Amino acid sequence: MSLDDLSEAVAAHLIAAGYARCEPPILQPASIFFDSGEDLRGQLYLTTDVSGAEYCLRPEYTIPVSRHYLASAAEKSASFSYCGPVFRFRPGQASEFIQAGIESFGRLDREAADAEILTLSVEAARTARSLDFLVRIGDAGLFSRFLEALDLAPQWRRRIARGHSQGKTMKAILNAPAASPSADYSGVLALLEGADKRGARALVEDLLSIAGIASVGGRTPAEIADRFLEQAAMKTGFGFSQEKAELIERFLEVEGDPDAASAALRKLAGEAGLDLSKALDSFDLRTGFIAALGLEVKDLSFAAGFTGNLDYYTGFVFEALDDPKGAEGKPVAGGGRYDQLLQRLGADRAIPAVGAAVFVDRLGARPEQGTS
Amino acid sequence: MTETGAEKPLVLAVPSKGRLQENAAAFFARAGLSIVQSGGSRDYRGELAGIGNVEVAFLSASDIVAQLAAGAVHLGVTGEDLVREKIPDADAKVELLTPLGFGGANVVVAAPRAWIDVKTMADLEDVAAAFRARRGERMRVATKYVNLTRRFFAERHVADYRIVESSGATEGAPAAGQAELIVDITTTGATLLANALKILDDGVILRSQANLVASLGADWGPATRETARIILSRIAAEEEARATREVATALPHWNEDLGAKAKAAFSARLRFFASDGLLTLNCPTDQIAPLADWLIMQGAAHVCVAAQDYVFSARNPLYEKLIDRLPPASSVI
Repeated sequence: MSLDDLSEAVAAHLIAAGYARCEPPILQPASIFFDSGEDLRGQLYLTTDVSGAEYCLRPEYTIPVSRHYLASAAEKSASFSYCGPVFRFRPGQASEFIQAGIESFGRLDREAADAEILTLSVEAARTARSLDFLVRIGDAGLFSRFLEALDLAPQWRRRIARGHSQGKTMKAILNAPAASPSADYSGVLALLEGADKRGARALVEDLLSIAGIASVGGRTPAEIADRFLEQAAMKTGFGFSQEKAELIERFLEVEGDPDAASAALRKLAGEAGLDLSKALDSFDLRTGFIAALGLEVKDLSFAAGFTGNLDYYTGFVFEALDDPKGAEGKPVAGGGRYDQLLQRLGADRAIPAVGAAVFVDRLGARPEQGTS
Repeated sequence: MTETGAEKPLVLAVPSKGRLQENAAAFFARAGLSIVQSGGSRDYRGELAGIGNVEVAFLSASDIVAQLAAGAVHLGVTGEDLVREKIPDADAKVELLTPLGFGGANVVVAAPRAWIDVKTMADLEDVAAAFRARRGERMRVATKYVNLTRRFFAERHVADYRIVESSGATEGAPAAGQAELIVDITTTGATLLANALKILDDGVILRSQANLVASLGADWGPATRETARIILSRIAAEEEARATREVATALPHWNEDLGAKAKAAFSARLRFFASDGLLTLNCPTDQIAPLADWLIMQGAAHVCVAAQDYVFSARNPLYEKLIDRLPPASSVI
């Protein structure tokens, strides 16, 4: 099949499943992508009009489609599909490539919506290329809930969640020497250690205000004082025990088909006295929906450590790799739940959202060089 | 503009103004290559006295980088900071032939001094995440080094920030409330200090200085290569002369073993040895005194050390560096 035929086949399949086509303009206001981070911003093809307003070629669909939803039907649930070119600067690769996908907004039956997005995007990829995929699934929400249940000091929870998103092992996160206060202050910190927390904070805050600093670089003296003391506490391992570190490692090692993994996680939570039942019930419910929609559950490969970027994904995540054994596979489809994005885009409340992209260029027999 | 044969001249781009221009002109003059501006200082084209087939283009430092990347000039003098910032895949487009010893400055990450809890990039990563969690906005970094900043921050896993492009007086951005921190170039750090900013312990992105840079995408015909060889051999000869001294002495029992020791301990290389024991070595300037001591311990009566103007060698390391990166020259002009 040619790339055009592939695109049409995928797009038609998604529309037939009830996902109305939404094609936002190729030229988008650049600023709407700035909050996605400098990595994406660095890949934008930018241009300005005579008034100086900055535009870019659409680098992805999720944000424009989400904005379309917010502008049109934000009080109801709605779902959309898309298929077209996106543009990103990627050294050594084509800068224009075809992306198809689906987004579902506002559905409160999250587990059913997750299952539908997964099965539909995998099916759509299969209509275009009758190949076996390896489907990997994970759950960012489960990991967040687990960290919450461990009752860690907030700074540890932050650090572990971020370290995990960066692909670091627990060992690397815990042994990171860098985030410790520098030697210059270790004597002072040792003195303050164990002191009354409010008193210590007031002291540091006072010292900063003696220096005439009300607010420098957008942070208040209170914020600086808090973190200064927090670092001292982290250095002495406050709020974090070896047992908790081991529990996190055991959690992240759980892998297998979803049913077996769920049982293993229940066992782990039971032994540790942590309440994960609500999150795991929801997990099992979703697995049931996936089975009902026709995917073989035992062919799904779950890994507790597969969470996607925890700053973006809030729940279910998945990817379909074009090699059933997974060793050399490239993702042909992938997505997940992102319940926080719409609020960041200006919605007045959190709106459930889940979506997936299909990388149409990778569905061809062999990817052609440079489609643009 | 001189033209020999059918081939276009080698274009050498040098800075058109300021300290960089003076330093670059002095550098080429030391190598016996004086830049002649054809029609007074208003003219933006010049020549190298005594060397045909060369056109000197006077350009701004950032134009030099752009022209090198585009292959419109063959050789240019510019800062490594601009090369790394302006050319996405710098190592594939240009070759840094040699640092020139001037225009030195560091590109650094600097935060407010009042952030007593922030000393490292790891601290910054943590603070940036907390900043965003608390305010729903990313911490702003003012800089003109957009690409260097993105690369460095990504390597250090700092994700929760936003670049605010700044073209001048970047160090004032935090005080003016336009940014929380900056990435900027600094020589002494005095300007940062005056603006109540501090460099993070591991916040040096690049130690930059002016470099002689070759464009790999320029039109390198046989005549242009030959011209480059002549220019680079003079520069290499001056560099070698500047960095080393000639050491002359007499040691009748000099042998290969001693030669190997001199090389291993002092990086000294034998240049000449006569059967009556007279020998000449070439040695890095900072190793001269220890080498002289050692030679006297081996039985030398006198050790004479002399500075030289040029040391031309059969091997031309700068030209080899260039030619290694160029495709084989076609024999047809």
